[in-house]
Amino acid sequence: MNLAICLLLQDDHEITIEELETRYNTSVTKGLTSTFASQVLERDGPNELKPPKGTPEYVKFARQLAGGLQCLMWVAAVICFIAFGIEVARGNVTAFDNLYLAITLISVVVVTGCFGYYQEFKSTNIIASFKNLVPQQAIVIRDGQKNQINAHQLVVGDLVEIKGGDRVPADIRIISGQACKVDNSSLTGESEPQSKTPECTHENPLETKNIAFFSTTCLEGVATGVIINTGDRTIIGRIASLASGVGNEKTPIAIEIEHFVDIIAGLAIFFGFTFFVVAMFIGYAFLEAMIFFMAIVVAYVPEGLLATVTVCLSLTAKRLARKNCVVKNLEAVETLGSTSVICSDKTGTLTQNRMTVAHLWFDNHVHAADTTEDQSGQSFDQSSETWRSLARVASLCNRATFRPDQEGVPIPKRLVVGDASETALLKFTELTVGNIMDYRNRFKKVVEVPFNSTNKFQLSIHELEDPLDLRYLLVMKGAPERILERCSTILIKGQELPLDEQWSEAFQTAYMDLGGLGERVLGFCHIYLNEKEFPRGYAFDPDEMNFTTSGLCFAGLISMIDPPRATVPDAVMKCRTAGIRVVMVTGDHPITARAIAANVGIISEGSETVEDIAQRKRIPVEQVNKRDARACVISGGQLKDMSSEELDDALRNHPEMVFARTSPQQKLIIVESCQRLGSIVAVTGDGVNDSPALKKADIGVAMGIAGSDAAKNAADMILLDDNFASIVTGVEQGRLIFDNLKKSIAYTLTKNIPELTPYLIYITVSVPLPLGCITILFIELATDIFPSVSLAYEKAESDIMHLKPRNPRQHRLVNEALAVYSYFQIGRCSFAGFTDYFTAMAQEGWYPLLCVGLRSQWENVHLQDVQDSYGQEWTFSQRLYQEYTCYTVFFVSIEICQISDVLIRKTRRLSVFQQGFFRSVKTHPKHASLGIMYLNSTQLVQWWFVPVPYGILIFVYDEIRKLGVRRYPGSWWDQELYY
Amino acid sequence: MYKGKERKGSSSEWRDAFWNPRTHELLGRTASSWGLILLFYLVFYLFLAGMFVLTMYIMLLTLDDYKPTWQDRLATPGMMIHPKGDQLEITFSVSETESWDRFTQTLNTFLSPYNDSYQVQMNDNCPPDQFFIQEDSGEVRNNPKRSCQFNRSMLEECAGISDRFYGYSRGQPCVLIKLNRVIGMLPGKNGQSPYVTCGAKREDGDKLGPLAYYPPNGTFNLMYYPYYGKKAQVNYTQPLVAVKFLNASVNTDINVECKINSNTLEAGSERDKFAGRVSFKLRINHT
Repeated sequence: MNLAICLLLQDDHEITIEELETRYNTSVTKGLTSTFASQVLERDGPNELKPPKGTPEYVKFARQLAGGLQCLMWVAAVICFIAFGIEVARGNVTAFDNLYLAITLISVVVVTGCFGYYQEFKSTNIIASFKNLVPQQAIVIRDGQKNQINAHQLVVGDLVEIKGGDRVPADIRIISGQACKVDNSSLTGESEPQSKTPECTHENPLETKNIAFFSTTCLEGVATGVIINTGDRTIIGRIASLASGVGNEKTPIAIEIEHFVDIIAGLAIFFGFTFFVVAMFIGYAFLEAMIFFMAIVVAYVPEGLLATVTVCLSLTAKRLARKNCVVKNLEAVETLGSTSVICSDKTGTLTQNRMTVAHLWFDNHVHAADTTEDQSGQSFDQSSETWRSLARVASLCNRATFRPDQEGVPIPKRLVVGDASETALLKFTELTVGNIMDYRNRFKKVVEVPFNSTNKFQLSIHELEDPLDLRYLLVMKGAPERILERCSTILIKGQELPLDEQWSEAFQTAYMDLGGLGERVLGFCHIYLNEKEFPRGYAFDPDEMNFTTSGLCFAGLISMIDPPRATVPDAVMKCRTAGIRVVMVTGDHPITARAIAANVGIISEGSETVEDIAQRKRIPVEQVNKRDARACVISGGQLKDMSSEELDDALRNHPEMVFARTSPQQKLIIVESCQRLGSIVAVTGDGVNDSPALKKADIGVAMGIAGSDAAKNAADMILLDDNFASIVTGVEQGRLIFDNLKKSIAYTLTKNIPELTPYLIYITVSVPLPLGCITILFIELATDIFPSVSLAYEKAESDIMHLKPRNPRQHRLVNEALAVYSYFQIGRCSFAGFTDYFTAMAQEGWYPLLCVGLRSQWENVHLQDVQDSYGQEWTFSQRLYQEYTCYTVFFVSIEICQISDVLIRKTRRLSVFQQGFFRSVKTHPKHASLGIMYLNSTQLVQWWFVPVPYGILIFVYDEIRKLGVRRYPGSWWDQELYY
Repeated sequence: MYKGKERKGSSSEWRDAFWNPRTHELLGRTASSWGLILLFYLVFYLFLAGMFVLTMYIMLLTLDDYKPTWQDRLATPGMMIHPKGDQLEITFSVSETESWDRFTQTLNTFLSPYNDSYQVQMNDNCPPDQFFIQEDSGEVRNNPKRSCQFNRSMLEECAGISDRFYGYSRGQPCVLIKLNRVIGMLPGKNGQSPYVTCGAKREDGDKLGPLAYYPPNGTFNLMYYPYYGKKAQVNYTQPLVAVKFLNASVNTDINVECKINSNTLEAGSERDKFAGRVSFKLRINHT
């Protein structure tokens, strides 16, 4: 294959950069012009792989019509047609029944086929549409400007930049690069990262180091390059078209459902065959026996189940997408519901990912600033003179600036050029002082010394606002202890006081307090330079620092933190009640991590770590019983020294865990440890290095905003808003859909028994047939489809997030309890059918005891004077009509019971009264469909009432069951009857 | 989706699922667990069966012993001929006694309850051409109800008295026609009794020849109606009409249709070939 590809390739990697520039009419500094780029885009088409030619739509449709069961039905339909033909040839007019049955069978196959096809079509589309929600972006240089555009807009000749974590957007000739390493595993299967440099090292383009290929991942470093191939003309595009037609893999849930349907179908065919043999044995014609066989198979097999499940899952996936969770594969929805541990990042997920001023210390007081995202919180007292000085220092000693043209944007959302803490200070002063740019202009900056890690401060010298005041103002900020060293006075209520022992101690306390909150603290001071010593025009030298840098006046402390998102504490609380552990895994400092964890509730109030207990009891750490400590903070260093057993122990013993200073590799270790303890783990991640952890986790969650392409590829779910609360929503939806699917399946299964028993009784007790094939088909396909789908829309039972996570190995979707309860307990509504049936027969003159054993006479076409219990004589046709009436009656009974059934299925453990009777309005199509049935029959109303007691019985019984399940959890009743 | 899920497909697992010797579990349940669940289902189904029997009993209590609740299926009574085979064919050879012997025997058996002596003993001699109404007076049942005599001799030539072979030996067969019993049915008004007419179907018209009806005009006299059901009217005698084919063509199939003519009964629907009419095939072989 390599050979074939090489032949197709150009020599783009061998020619010089100048030749490359001329070939693609581009420039390695300025890139293409936008106009030329759009021309090329028009010529070459978008930079995306054409989807491989999938199965044609008609084949997909045909496949829906030709499954195993469908084939059986086709055969049955053909048999019915033949039967009809034979009967018509004989001149028998009543044989139209066979024609109707054949038509019904065909419509069953076609209708279910259309339904299945439509659903497959729809869910494929939903998943496909999700791709557009998270488009791949690329940084491209056009007209000398750096822009971020959608990767599919790229054209040959474009100058692009890639950095660690990006997916390479096209085949690229590297122009310049720094420590750029690329993972080629998607192309060559080689997992060792390849370094990419501008030099051509090999004549084979696959081997040379100066080409990076489309769809590979850049692991680290940065590189710039010119695009040489796009879309299907890239190497991967050619390989993809060479090896197209990789089949879709079935999802585990689909396999589980199909497996279940297969078992049921096997059972049905077994029953059907038994009945077939018995029917032949008691003297039925082959055709008639075959029709019984069909009826039983149709009655028993839940044809619409798989479709229903797919609908439910795709509906939920759609609903989740609206709530900012994009699910990449459907079954992830269901797994999400069983999540028992969430390993979450801190930055950006739990927190807002923006440094914000949280506290200030001046005038010997700690003041709290407003950290909410929308500035809805309380502000502090700003009347003090000290505050004005502090604000001035904070405003002036700051290099960050707002990007232009952002007047309309609320201040917290504006884009800033500058580092995180300067940004925080800029926004803070903009909010409190106002119009900082103008303010800075009024204090003209003369010189500045930027922050560096040796002196740990930053200072600048300004002229004063008042033109008459010729003094210079020196402002300085930095690490508090360094600032304090340089200060000799402190500003208290506008007064400069000497900085004595007492004030030093006050400062230390404040500094420790703020640091203990996990906040980054900065100290601020200023001094008016002596006019004599530093007159106007004095040549300040930032390197020599030929000016006063000690004996300054301390103004105050400002501390900053990346505050938690507003929704997170609630979400964590929800997880806690839902029995889901939230484990924080962060690269941050342990103290910061702990502070945030305590803030959002991951470490609950009153929980102590081993160290806390040791400190409280004044005993060495070793003597503390580890089980007493609910919380535990483990740093990456400690983690490195722990064996996996120790880590398991730690996770078992401490319900509230925070991992700080961890590397992405350690994240994987943590995930594995959780899984060893039997948890279903959801993990969030954004970086390239998170990919293994994301893949290893049961649910990998990538961040939509901060996440790298590599992380998004490895994840099962993508959070568009990077918000932790969205995961919790996802869990809730996952649990809901699992419950609803269960309800839906339970409902679908229930009616199999009342459909089957008529045949059982018919064959064994020889009564006239109570329920015909067509009626069964009608129930299966007309009246019962809507309610079973409508159950998928059921609202959550209100305590859904108060239950422990389900153990996926024990609580399967379709389990024994569900099947047994549906079949043997609720399925007893067949009794209602028989009651109604015998009533209808008796009222026409056929007493129940007469019916027993009546079948051979009843069905004898030549007997025109069969006597009923009153001595009246009936012709065959009259009896046949009576039989049809019985079908109707039995049908009505099943429907009445199914109405009751759909009501009880609304909840699995709550009372229906707690849930609200008609909270889901969509159950009503059922009642409507009943209304149109057999309206012409005069006695219908009465037959509706006969099965009602059974309907009520089902309802009452299920309420009792639910009551028992709620009252006595874990009891025998709960174990046997809770599905 | 449980990544890394392992599946051990060993046979010992299956055996354990059936009978686990360590925990003494049969199909995943211990003996006491099985006992408990079976007891539960026993009680459960006993209760259901009880409820079923109870509802059946209540339902039977609501029924009238003498008249069914609904009779809408029987608006047009069915008709039937005698003698009949499986296919409603009367085929025989005049010369071969055994070919019609079974017809005459069925007729003999069928007509034995109509013997004059028996009828006189059991039933009343009612005034003809009017309904024999025997209403109950309120709650007091007027039971048992009397029935009217239908004497075998009223069938004259077809009574099997003067001609033991019902005309079969001479190629002039008798066919008896009866109207299905329906409780409370009043098949005529204004003193006009319903009567039977027979005719050949389609092209067989000229083969049929003249017919004779007994009793005269082929009437079901009104005095035999209404029927009060087998519980109230134990000795009800169903009226009959005999048709004698006097000169039917021989050695050919004749499709005959007889139907009831009444000024109250509805004509039967197309679908029911035996409501208010009856069709049969007649073939007399003669060498």
